[in-house]
Amino acid sequence: MKKNVFLFFLALFAVLFSGCQNDESDFPSSDDPTIAIATKEIYGAPNRKFEIKAALEDDLGLKSVRIQIPELSLDKIITFSTDPLLTAYDLSYFFEVPADRGTSEALKIKLTITDVSENAIEDEINLRLDGEFAAPLISMITPKEGAVILLSSSNEMPVNFVVNDDSGIDYIQIQCAALGIDEMVQLPDAPQSYTFNKTYTLPVTAANYVLTITAKDKFAIPNTGTLNINVVATNEYPAIYLCDQPKGTSLTTDAVGVPMYFHDKNGQDFEFKYYADKDNKELYFLGQESDFAPHCFGLDASGNLIDDVTSTPIILPTKGYYTIKINPNTLSYSVAKYTPSSKVWADIANGLWHDDEAQRRPFVSVCGGGIQGADWDTWTAWVQTGLHLANNPENPYQLVGEYTLTGTLEATFTGQWWSPSWRLIQNGIGTMSPGENGNAKYPAAPGVYKVILDTELERVFITKK
Amino acid sequence: MKYRFIWLCIAMLCTVATFGQLTVKGTVKDKGAVPIPGVNVIVKGTTVSTATDFDGNFSITVPNKESQIEFSFIGFTNKTVKVDGQTTLNIVLQEANQTLDEVVVVGYATVKKSDVTSSIASVKGKELQTMTVGNVTESLQGKVAGVQVTGAGGPGAQPRVLIRGISTVNLDTDPLYVVDGIPMGTSINFLSTNEIESMDVLKDASASAIYGSRASNGVILITTKKGKVGKTRFTFDLSTGIQVMNNPYNMADAESYATIMNKAYTNSGYTEYLPNPEQYRGKTTDWWRAGIKQSATIQNASLGISGGSEKHTFAVSLNYYNSDSFYGIGGWERITMRIANDFKFSDKFSAGVTLNPRYETWGAPGNWADFDKIDPITPIYKPADQLNGTENEYSIYARSPSYVWNPVAAVARFDDYTDQYNLNTNGYLQYIPVKGLVFRTQGSIEVGDRVWSKFSPDFVIDAAHEKAEINSIERRATTNVDWTWQTTATYSKSFAEKHNTSLMVGATMEEYNGSDVWGYGEGVPNNSDSMRELNAATKNRNSGGNSWSNSLMSYISRLSYNYDNKYYLTGTFRRDGSSKFMANNKWANFPSVSGSWRISNEGFMESTKSVISDLRFRAGWGRVGNQNLPNAVYQSNIGQGFYPIGVDIVDTAFPSTMANKDIKWETVEDINFGIDFGLWKNKLSGSIEYYEKETKDMLFLKQFATYSGFPAYSTIWTNVGSMRSNGVDLLISYKDKKGDFSYGADLTFTTVNIKMVSLSSEDEKLYGSSNRTLTVKDEEPGYFYGYVADGLFQNQTELNSHTDEHGNKLQPYAKAGDIRFKDVNGDGKLDDKDRTKIGSPWADYNVGLNLNFAYKNLDLLVNFYSSIGNEIVNQNISDLYNGASLTNKVSGLDQMAWHGEGTSNSVPRLSKDDNNENFTKFSSLYVEDGSFLRMKNIQLGYSFYNKFGFEKLRLSLSGQNLWTLTNYSGVEPEVGGGDPNNGDRVKGAGFGGWNYPVQPTVLMGLNLAF
Repeated sequence: MKKNVFLFFLALFAVLFSGCQNDESDFPSSDDPTIAIATKEIYGAPNRKFEIKAALEDDLGLKSVRIQIPELSLDKIITFSTDPLLTAYDLSYFFEVPADRGTSEALKIKLTITDVSENAIEDEINLRLDGEFAAPLISMITPKEGAVILLSSSNEMPVNFVVNDDSGIDYIQIQCAALGIDEMVQLPDAPQSYTFNKTYTLPVTAANYVLTITAKDKFAIPNTGTLNINVVATNEYPAIYLCDQPKGTSLTTDAVGVPMYFHDKNGQDFEFKYYADKDNKELYFLGQESDFAPHCFGLDASGNLIDDVTSTPIILPTKGYYTIKINPNTLSYSVAKYTPSSKVWADIANGLWHDDEAQRRPFVSVCGGGIQGADWDTWTAWVQTGLHLANNPENPYQLVGEYTLTGTLEATFTGQWWSPSWRLIQNGIGTMSPGENGNAKYPAAPGVYKVILDTELERVFITKK
Repeated sequence: MKYRFIWLCIAMLCTVATFGQLTVKGTVKDKGAVPIPGVNVIVKGTTVSTATDFDGNFSITVPNKESQIEFSFIGFTNKTVKVDGQTTLNIVLQEANQTLDEVVVVGYATVKKSDVTSSIASVKGKELQTMTVGNVTESLQGKVAGVQVTGAGGPGAQPRVLIRGISTVNLDTDPLYVVDGIPMGTSINFLSTNEIESMDVLKDASASAIYGSRASNGVILITTKKGKVGKTRFTFDLSTGIQVMNNPYNMADAESYATIMNKAYTNSGYTEYLPNPEQYRGKTTDWWRAGIKQSATIQNASLGISGGSEKHTFAVSLNYYNSDSFYGIGGWERITMRIANDFKFSDKFSAGVTLNPRYETWGAPGNWADFDKIDPITPIYKPADQLNGTENEYSIYARSPSYVWNPVAAVARFDDYTDQYNLNTNGYLQYIPVKGLVFRTQGSIEVGDRVWSKFSPDFVIDAAHEKAEINSIERRATTNVDWTWQTTATYSKSFAEKHNTSLMVGATMEEYNGSDVWGYGEGVPNNSDSMRELNAATKNRNSGGNSWSNSLMSYISRLSYNYDNKYYLTGTFRRDGSSKFMANNKWANFPSVSGSWRISNEGFMESTKSVISDLRFRAGWGRVGNQNLPNAVYQSNIGQGFYPIGVDIVDTAFPSTMANKDIKWETVEDINFGIDFGLWKNKLSGSIEYYEKETKDMLFLKQFATYSGFPAYSTIWTNVGSMRSNGVDLLISYKDKKGDFSYGADLTFTTVNIKMVSLSSEDEKLYGSSNRTLTVKDEEPGYFYGYVADGLFQNQTELNSHTDEHGNKLQPYAKAGDIRFKDVNGDGKLDDKDRTKIGSPWADYNVGLNLNFAYKNLDLLVNFYSSIGNEIVNQNISDLYNGASLTNKVSGLDQMAWHGEGTSNSVPRLSKDDNNENFTKFSSLYVEDGSFLRMKNIQLGYSFYNKFGFEKLRLSLSGQNLWTLTNYSGVEPEVGGGDPNNGDRVKGAGFGGWNYPVQPTVLMGLNLAF
């Protein structure tokens, strides 16, 4: 009897135990999954992503793929949905090699593919970290970005640039659809440096052109570099810039205001307001923003205005504010000193934030982006005392300071609750009445910059320190 | 001779009979030695009876010394005493608990407990008075099944009371309080526990429908103490003690703070914030000790005088309550008086009037969190070399680089108090022209005045960050005059012995009026106390004022019928007209019907009488409403704001709210089924109830569609959406006595399930509490909604594997030690769509356990309360663990936070930047189990009777909130609703933080009767 009771309970627990098994549906047995790897050898490099590509298939359904590179701390499992079952999957997985890995390392990437029937296969890919991924470097000599070609003086466009690449240059290509240019130079010897120099003839009608230069290297996984250059061919200058820097100075390293955009234009009569911060200040006028060539207006030996990169500077004799007029067509100019009459924002260093307007004292700080410590809250502008501008003791119309820029710059110089405020719009204009012009964005290399807000000129100068 | 013998025999027999008779005298008193007039005294087995007189005395002649006398009186257990030759008997009657003859208040009437057909729970005042609390509802916690009370710490704080969960999302959830028949709104802070005779909680709609449009959150009826016929009796009750305020966190000292912050800085690639932490050793500023008192006093005292004759009874009480804040200044003080007079001019005509003058004053700083958050290195006062002697007394304090304003200075500046003065007059006239017909009219006038004053002194602790350059004074006086008038006629009739009916009809009118006037000014010449007046302000004077009103007119009726005390049927009907709604929906009807079957009175149950003393089935249906929305939502309003137009800031007007002529009440319908039982002569008794309720036409403040042309911030109240809830209430009581030892236990159990049935559109998402809660269809309202924190990244391999299927990192800024957020929808991106339900503020169960023991004159009671299954958002986690801010952190955080593989899976690494948004993303990191078990009260008492010149003297020692069991790591697991001003009462429930804790309290009590 006892034996029967024992057997009864044994059977009962056996049934209960089996009833407690995992109820997940089982899949029937199937063939092993398959893998087709795109390439058995992958190049990588520190700080750079590489791609693992493979085509996975299974006759019933894929369950997961596991990617392992123990040396690089990668152990990734991609799990697939089983409703519906997935029978094919194109693996495309990117992974960035840590910066501290050596370029001479060779590693194995292990792939494990499992299907829903728990069949698993493995495969390996070789990973080399000595890949070269830098695109050929194109250094433009002429024309520079934004170059102006004055058709009245010449309709020729010299194109001159240098290409460099460590693994050798396969070819270069120059294209401009509007001019019908599509020229490819194949370089069978794959030199590490190549100079291109050729002059093209432009139509005599004014137009804007985009010159596209492409260069490709000879690495196992080729790299391609591309550069677009905008060129303006015109019968008259769209803008003239005032440059108070010596020739040869890079005009693209400062963030804002160098060279200075004109204040007024009537036909080809351009008018500038300018502050000479010392006696005998030397100036040039430029037909383009980013370079002294091709149009640089200075003086010839007899003191007349000429358009020549070899010209000598115009000299403002004494320190102070000037109105300067120039016509690049008639090659005439005039200079007149004046005394400003606009509001002086004095004593801003003793500004005071106060809810009561009567007790408020103006300060000038900055709101914006790309400036360390600043955001778009005027309270932050007040709290971050390092952003406060000070009066220039030598010029009451200039507020000066020093900012650390972190990237693309946007700025509005402001006091409490935007009163007063100068919004920095395009062309370095810092205006109190911006109209519909929003804040302009200025690309800037991270670093420390000197800041001048000239309230008389309504211009901002942010120059690399 | 023969006749002589017979005469002698007869004479002797008579003599014997006369000699066998015995006159017994004595007094009948209750346990408190109070004489009980009107007690029935019957010689058992005879028709000889009498009643005790005014002083509880009786005299009765019994046939012989073996006779038995039975004493009976309503509300007391019958007592039978064998004479046994005694001529003097002093009897003590025991009060009966929950006998079926007890009277229950049901709204505009009282009925016997046995005749109740709805879901009504009663609690006696003396049960509530075992705790010393400012708001009596806190004492209700755990004593009534179906009522969830969430305590609120702080002087004058009001607990959250939910009766059978919530039935609204956007309106108030508090029940309606009715004191002596007069609706008194949704707060009873003004009421002393010592004034209360009993509380009756109307839980289902069949009970509360008689209060119509304000009853959807349930109704609590409060009956205050009245005089009783008998000699004048004096009582004095005093409890006094201390509330303990321990620092809930062990904060870092100066050296530890420096170590923690240095780690946060260096982990983010910065140089150390406070190099050489050891230099701060022994230089900690103990802010907590400097500003927070370890204990604050609490007192509750009451002096009562009551008594009266057949023609006039009276009860006068003077009550005082005081609870100090733990800041050393401020608190809550309340003085109330209740003078109740009842007159019986004849058998037909009676009247009564109750006067209730009250005074309250409250105000206390609220910055206790700052004492923990401010850095421990900053000194309290500026060093002497930073003072130049010209500073005022509020400017001598030091400024903390942590941006936390000096809390000691803030407390010193505090001057923000409110005084409240009220007088309530409540009177009635009652006329009984014929037997069974009662006309009653009752009126009440409440006049109140609240004066709020605030003075902010000028000070400069730091010229840039912590200052008020000009002082200011503000005062607001609010006056309210409310009146209520209700008249009822009730006719009760029994016929053919078994048919008992009662019909009540009546009408009520209520009007609530308020007005305020406000003044503001700046530039008071100095900060001295005597100058803190508006007239002293010299600059920027401003003033304002407003008035408001709402009214309600109603018709009410109730029909009750029972057959042979077995079958009961009750129907009520109320028709409400409210000033809050326009003509289309000004009037609404609120009917209810309920019935019960007292099966224990059936003949076929006779054989079970020895076990089943009482058994009853109940069922009810009713409809109630919620009109707790602002007074004038039917109006269109113009708002004002400043907007930039061009370069000018322009003062503009815009349509802020629009009228909705069709606006109407939220309507709640519910059904209720219940079983009441009493076993073994009611030693074991209880009830179990199941209910379902549905809210329709819910009131929502909605924005206009863009195409309507209204600004996005214009709103309109509208009736959309519905919700449904159900639940079970269970009460089990057991009581027994063994010789001098008696004991009892009450267990209450409450469960509520709530689900939104519909919103204004199928896929509408209602966010609350800064988008941290969500309310959607088919889910409970206001659940916590955020990211799932799936532990911490322990190593680079875990970081590298947290990608989509193409290797794109889901958290590109994460480092080992940061939180791994779950890609809930599996789309390979971590964004808003990965937020999900991460917790619920609503408890699965609430359980109360109330134990009482007595041995001779010694008594002990213990109350437990628990909330099970709810979660709490612990908002302090960021303050305590986040290295991004400069506020102080918990001690040892540098070791507690992740600092290497396997060191922690819950506290993220210290980081100055928190680029992974460990703390700024609202995630399950903040959500903790909020369940708790709390010993609300333990009280040991000893009573002396007729000693020291008192009828009764009782001494007691109590401990309130002394012990709590919880996994919640925050300050206080009793966390209530969100900010009602933001419509977050429901949608913002369950957010814990630096809320004023419910404090452990130790009290001594003295009760005197003479």
